[in-house]
Amino acid sequence: MSSVDTSVQMRMRGGRLLSLLILATAVALIIVTPFLPNYYVRVANGLLIYILLGIGLNIVIGYAGLLDLGFVAFYAVGAYTYALLASPQFDLHLPFLLIVVIAAAVGAITGILLGLPVLKMRGDYLAIVTLGFGEIIRIVINNLDWLTGGPKGIARLDKASIAGIELARPTEIYWLLIVVVFAVAIFVWRMEKSILGKAWAAIREDQDAARGIGINTTNAKLAAFATSATIGSIAGVIFAASQRFVSPDSFALQESVLIVLMIVIGGIGNILGIVIGAAILILLPEVLREFAEWRILFLGLLMIVLIIVRPAGIVPRTFGPEKLIRGLFGK
Amino acid sequence: MTLVFHNLRKQYGSHVAIDDVSTVFQPGLIHGIIGPNGAGKSTLINMTAGSYLVSGGRISLDDRTLSGLKKYQIANSGVARTYQNIRLFDQMTVLENLEVCFYPTQVGQVWREILWPPFAAKRRINRRDVCMELLSFFGLQHYADAEAGSLPYGRQRMLEIARALVTNPRVLLLDEPAAGLNHHETTELTARLAELKSPDRIMIVVEHDMDLVMSVCDRIVVMHHGKLLFQGTPAEVQASSDVQLAYLGTANDIDDIKTAAKDRRAQLGIRARRRT
Ligand SMILES: Nc1ncnc2c1ncn2[C@@H]1O[C@H](COP(=O)(O)OP(=O)(O)OP(=O)(O)O)[C@@H](O)[C@H]1O
Ligand SMILES: [Mg+2]
Repeated sequence: MSSVDTSVQMRMRGGRLLSLLILATAVALIIVTPFLPNYYVRVANGLLIYILLGIGLNIVIGYAGLLDLGFVAFYAVGAYTYALLASPQFDLHLPFLLIVVIAAAVGAITGILLGLPVLKMRGDYLAIVTLGFGEIIRIVINNLDWLTGGPKGIARLDKASIAGIELARPTEIYWLLIVVVFAVAIFVWRMEKSILGKAWAAIREDQDAARGIGINTTNAKLAAFATSATIGSIAGVIFAASQRFVSPDSFALQESVLIVLMIVIGGIGNILGIVIGAAILILLPEVLREFAEWRILFLGLLMIVLIIVRPAGIVPRTFGPEKLIRGLFGK
Repeated sequence: MTLVFHNLRKQYGSHVAIDDVSTVFQPGLIHGIIGPNGAGKSTLINMTAGSYLVSGGRISLDDRTLSGLKKYQIANSGVARTYQNIRLFDQMTVLENLEVCFYPTQVGQVWREILWPPFAAKRRINRRDVCMELLSFFGLQHYADAEAGSLPYGRQRMLEIARALVTNPRVLLLDEPAAGLNHHETTELTARLAELKSPDRIMIVVEHDMDLVMSVCDRIVVMHHGKLLFQGTPAEVQASSDVQLAYLGTANDIDDIKTAAKDRRAQLGIRARRRT
């Protein structure tokens, strides 16, 4: 046997070990978390919601290469859809799953409506305009007192329930989120691997050349905006159902920035990267709670180091779920 | 099936880049477009592919008017192109650069591809087979999983032509395919171009390399200051007293062409070095 063969074998065994390790850790964490005290479960729920948001925004930023800084708008749309349809506000109490469907549709439509005017924009211009959209939605919510309750928000939202099973305690929400995050991650990953995902990549690399091979970039971009907004909106529904209270404060510009940072730090265009990025940006502040006055400084330093050491993010674009699976089965 | 320019015109501001050009391109032939820097060759390609709007006149394929359609619509009418300055999807793999060309025909069933894995697998194999065959034709099969932007310059040129061929276009527009290639690569390209000739394909090659043009082209259009100066077979072009006098003949203009070819190599050399 030649030395080339053995080195390939060793690398494969290494890959297999790494894949096994990553998956085993993930499974262990997922199973152990609900048995921890409620505080930890709540933190985990927050993390899962941000992962969901990251997966959604990554479609636009990571796949299609469009820097969107107003993503929180769709999160708000979903949250308020739930708040309006399942609370004493208008005395509407629609079933949870029905609201998810409605919110997904409303999210997609909002995504397309906000996408249409920015179709011709890229880079900094796109970032500024979408940032504006995010703020506009928050301000509208803040001012439409009769509809949204204004700055006071909407309280006493219904508990979520599916098929008669109530989902209100942190562990119940946790399992709901685990299922949704996995379903959405698999869906989005398959989307990335589909011909549409390849078209997004082409648009990201060279929009004009993409048109030159027959890609209707308008439609492909709107599909990205719509899918991304739908996921943001669904995350908003779950957020509202778990807090059972919504107010404009939850949808400030910082939220959008935080989600973008998760993507950039974890690894643009990579679902696994988003999980890592979210873990760092959501869990670290919790861990550093006791050093409250230092933690922003600490995060800032960490970010500077990461950007110098790993400018393309912690997990490279090419280390996607398929690598993990292939590593596991040694193919 | 013919590609026709009807009194084509292009102005950039007040500068007239193409002035009343009318000609016909036939299938089964390789048409060359030559002329010194700034003659308007790329402008013709760009208008045909829909990268630029026409300022006057009309471009038609069969009985269909192309000018005025959007760029992606023109591509979907069977017009494919390469660019004078290579434009690949640099961070995608070589294989993906070709696969993505299936978008127009396959996006209609994208839901099925996302939600039904067996269908997706079939699609993937299907795309792969077609693309790998093309890659082999251009000697690129071993690069399939490499990032397109990391390829040596000459390979990138070949890949760009391969990408243009995935959809089996009726019109193939090549803007200076030999620019920046070394002698060996140019010979290889010349052979590939001859093999690509097919009774139902119109091929148009803009090129400064006169050896390539004279050996591979069946018809040549000579452009000069935005006007069509002469058209005919390579022999006719070389023999034409018009061209000799106004173009090939004068020491100045033949030098123009040679300088252009040299300039191009120098410019592209920079890109090639920067990338490697
Ligand atoms: N986008 C543009 N805006 C303004 N002027 C342009 C533009 N593109 C080309 N031109 C001008 O139009 C004329 C024709 O340019 P074109 O690129 O078609 O020439 P070419 O024959 O392809 O030359 P080369 O051999 O250098 O590629 C030139 O004078 C050029 O400066
Ligand atoms: Mg040119």
